[in-house]
Amino acid sequence: MDSMLIEHMMNPRNYGVLQNSSSEGIGKNPHNGEKVIIFLNIKDNVIEDISFQAIGCMTTVLAGSLITSEAKGSSLDRAEDLVGATLGMLDRIPPEEAACSEMVALALQASIDTYKERQKDKDFPMITYKIAQTCTPQNDGVIDE
Amino acid sequence: MNSILVMIHEVWLETLMAGFMSSEHLSKQKLFDFSNIFFRHFTWVENALIKANYEYDYNRSTIPIKVESLQVIIGDIKRRLNAIELSLVNCDDDALAGRIQSDINYISFALSNIADEKVNSFDMGRVLGESQLSDEATDALTMFLFEESYKEYELIMIYNYLKAHSKEQNLIRIFQILIDESFYHLKQFGQMMSDMGILGVPRIISKELYQVESVVQFLENGINEELNAKEECRKLSGAVANENAALSKFFDFINNQENYHIELMKEALQEYKKEINE
Repeated sequence: MDSMLIEHMMNPRNYGVLQNSSSEGIGKNPHNGEKVIIFLNIKDNVIEDISFQAIGCMTTVLAGSLITSEAKGSSLDRAEDLVGATLGMLDRIPPEEAACSEMVALALQASIDTYKERQKDKDFPMITYKIAQTCTPQNDGVIDE
Repeated sequence: MNSILVMIHEVWLETLMAGFMSSEHLSKQKLFDFSNIFFRHFTWVENALIKANYEYDYNRSTIPIKVESLQVIIGDIKRRLNAIELSLVNCDDDALAGRIQSDINYISFALSNIADEKVNSFDMGRVLGESQLSDEATDALTMFLFEESYKEYELIMIYNYLKAHSKEQNLIRIFQILIDESFYHLKQFGQMMSDMGILGVPRIISKELYQVESVVQFLENGINEELNAKEECRKLSGAVANENAALSKFFDFINNQENYHIELMKEALQEYKKEINE
């Protein structure tokens, strides 16, 4: 096991609730109730701060720690590229790990999409995306992609 | 008062972690005892919040614990105790504040007398005891310890919340036993993590896990989770049996303990179902 991964398990980065966040989004596994919420603080289209909380296994926390570390300080475009890259590699990793990474990536996408909607309507509710075997984001009845 | 609850929550966990870091028997015992006292303070403050009808939760900050010497973490615990002492002026219950303050005064003094030690809890050596496990068994054990140490902390918090909000004596008895059992498991797993150089504070628990909408559903799911935990223990016991017989026996022991937890949860489930039907 890679020492960098162990370090992230010992001390997950960006874990917890971000107070006064610009937006929030949820990635959810409808089969077992596991979910990830990602909080963003965005200024001038740059993710100034990010945090996540998970109801799930250690692999989900690990994925959350890695993906949020990568997204912190990046532009929204780059964060969406990160989501795309994560979803694009899911078929090359074991299914359980794929589900965990997909859940985190979709939570990030949901939070970005919530932010975009809130630019038009500041009271727009938090978006939830459900993970799917096909790795295709599905909405939770809140918004159409 | 909620901020006092948060501060006590954090110092309870930090002191528990310091106990894992210490290799000196007497210092370790003191740190574990003080950690237990802080957990009791936590339950007292929670009870005061409930009685006063305040909204509260188990949210807290992450707790940095990576140190190279025990004195550094003890210094941080003392700093936290000072902050709690200052905050006690905001405690509505003078008698409660007095009791906590008196404990803090003594504990701060006693902490100052704990000798320094080099801490090896973060070296990531991942060797447990004298027998070296295979890479595969070591990885399986590593994942198990991270998963289950969090799970035990989560269970302590959930059972504590349910206990704090129960009026039925039998349920309070059941939850207290389950809390004690989870504390035992958390201490065993935490010590193994420290010995393997992979110590970490369990992550913050999400509100919806303890503020459960349906206790019946929680207990039914919990029984299934205990059955899964039994299976994980069984697999781990088998994976390390050839290389470390003592560790294998330990996981068999934990596996068998889950039977008792399942029975207690079934008993609690009957109580809740009875309440619903009444």
